[in-house]
Amino acid sequence: MSKIKITRRRLLTSAVGAAGGAAAFYGPWAHTRVHAQPSMKPIRIGITSDASGQYANSGASDRRGMMMAIAEANARGGVLGRKIETVHLDTETTPATGSRVAERMITRENCGFLIGAIHSGVANAISQVAQKYGVIYLNTNSSAPSEAGANCHRVKFVWDANGTNFAKASVKAAIEKYGKKWVLLTNDYVWGHSTSAATKALLKQYGGDMVEEILVPQGTRDFSSQLLKIQQINPGVVAAAIGGDDQKAMRQQIAQLGMGNKPVWLNNQQDWPDVYGLPLDNLFGLFGTTWYYKLDLPGVDEFVKRYQTMYPDTGMRVPGNVFYNGYFATRELLAAIERAGSTNNIKVIKALEGHKMSARDRMQHHDAWINPVTHQVEQTIYQATANVGTQDKDDMFKIVAHTSPQDAMDSDAAGACKLETYEATPTFDA
Amino acid sequence: MTSLVPHLVNGITLGLLFALIALGFTLIVGVMEVINLAHGSLFTLGAYLALSTIGAGWFAETAFGAWWLSLPLTGRFFLALALGPVIAGVFGMLLELCLRPTYGKAPLYGLLLTFGAALVIEEAIRLLWGTGEQNMPVPQMISGAFLMGGLIFSTYKFYAAGFAIVAVLLVWLFLERTPYGAIIKAGAHDSEMVRALGYDLSRLRLLVFGFGSALAGIAGMVMAPIWGLRPHLGIDVVIPAFLIIVIGGVGSFWGAVIAAILVGLATGITGAYAPAWSLMSMYLLLIAVVGFRARGLMGRRSALEN
Repeated sequence: MSKIKITRRRLLTSAVGAAGGAAAFYGPWAHTRVHAQPSMKPIRIGITSDASGQYANSGASDRRGMMMAIAEANARGGVLGRKIETVHLDTETTPATGSRVAERMITRENCGFLIGAIHSGVANAISQVAQKYGVIYLNTNSSAPSEAGANCHRVKFVWDANGTNFAKASVKAAIEKYGKKWVLLTNDYVWGHSTSAATKALLKQYGGDMVEEILVPQGTRDFSSQLLKIQQINPGVVAAAIGGDDQKAMRQQIAQLGMGNKPVWLNNQQDWPDVYGLPLDNLFGLFGTTWYYKLDLPGVDEFVKRYQTMYPDTGMRVPGNVFYNGYFATRELLAAIERAGSTNNIKVIKALEGHKMSARDRMQHHDAWINPVTHQVEQTIYQATANVGTQDKDDMFKIVAHTSPQDAMDSDAAGACKLETYEATPTFDA
Repeated sequence: MTSLVPHLVNGITLGLLFALIALGFTLIVGVMEVINLAHGSLFTLGAYLALSTIGAGWFAETAFGAWWLSLPLTGRFFLALALGPVIAGVFGMLLELCLRPTYGKAPLYGLLLTFGAALVIEEAIRLLWGTGEQNMPVPQMISGAFLMGGLIFSTYKFYAAGFAIVAVLLVWLFLERTPYGAIIKAGAHDSEMVRALGYDLSRLRLLVFGFGSALAGIAGMVMAPIWGLRPHLGIDVVIPAFLIIVIGGVGSFWGAVIAAILVGLATGITGAYAPAWSLMSMYLLLIAVVGFRARGLMGRRSALEN
């Protein structure tokens, strides 16, 4: 066997040569994808929904929505003639994991688009990575006002209504009906804080009086001290921005104490997976949502049937708002690629910005659109309460009012949101 | 001051519940020196098994299920309180059998194995019972609320705290006043001597692990009506249980009980007056105690300290 002497000079030259070769091949990431992938290669979408942690259950519902939209698109022959493939990694309801997952999906799994979020901190973390690479990211279900405000990005589109939208749909009427003395019960993270800020601003605007704000750390399972404190304060309204498992525990404990009717509980937003299957006495107060499976609108029944056909074994027999957002976000992304006639990220972003969606198509009461300034989907907001006396175990909500997107619009978001320019956003073909 | 009293009462109640949660964990760590990271999953498993016992589980649609469900909830509830934990205990014993090859090796092996077991149990729960939230029904006699000092308190929570007191006393009596307890404690002090005296140490470990797991299952069932029931409930259990035994002093039974009450008081009072710190308070308590007394409140003095 011949011996090859490796000198330092040879080693250095080889290393430089190898690095140069790698750079030429992989190059700036944006170009690699253009050259390395044949145009008929499947479009890869990274599903960034939570599969464990506080929002695991909602994450599963979110994912089912996305997968149904993708299955329907693939059944039609894909998008631009290309099939759609998905990669799912658990973001664990943890921002740090969200960042890692996004980085991996983009750089190692070659995902051209990312979809999914429930937790606003996770959504924010993912979107920062996505913006760095120019990868379009759909925040399907996290609803901190900051998501389409201070933390907005050119690549990010926010599909759920936000805390301000929900507060606008309820606060004024609640002050008039239930009194001015309010306590805010706020989950101590970005969604809770930005939602409570919106509620406080509206209280100030309409003459309400916030006597106390009780911050609830994420992961709280026992609410007895907070509930005792609320009894001692004796407010007319408790405006709660508590999500996920925290909210489930809180609802059970309030129901056990029989405190569901007094004070009045105003839950900014109620995600369907958080209450599905719970006894109706756990579902007290008023709460916001963006969709309900019993809305008396064209297409709703057929949509529910499609869900039941695709997911015959799921414990959740009917779709809820989280599924709905996951489905429509994904469907609209695929439609935007078709409209753009390209998977070029900037072209798709432009196809999404300002896009109008008819009320009939989205099965809501008002037309919706993607706000081009904030990338928030402006849509109908529903106020609901428990459907007391129902014999149908699934029919838990009674919709009591709906508010148009114009009336619920988060007017502060436009001032807070500074989208990166197109030029500052890396471009590539997915 | 009057406004503080309800929070003190609430804190003590909460502390007793924490004691119940930590009881099985303390026993296994104290006697076997194994940190059982599957404690939370066994806690959840016990609760799900109890739920199925109450609701007839997979037999609900059969004639037997219909007959079973026609029985009063109170009877089914208390039967579940016995049956759920027993099955959780059997799972604990199976886990102990798996743990045997790790004895005498670095503690990391045992930690990894119990961590893996926790994941397996959690996923099995997901597959068997689904991912959604479940609701544990509570008999009329211990549900609802009552007024005390003009404030509403949960009847069930006080029942659960009372149950925790009984459970703590029974476990203590078992360890201190029965020959089995004496053997278990002797096994913790000097396992070689216990073996030399002719006791089957393997069987002893098996029983202790099963007993500790059954206690986890009991705690799961008792806590489910308060915390709700979901497959990943166990995550909420392991960390407080671990903190409690460190604060109390590893191996000290009453140290763990006192630590649990202190954790309950810290969480309850900060929950009212500095709510953002309510979860953090137990960690601050840990730092305060361990900072001044590394072996915990009632932990044994180590040889290095002499």
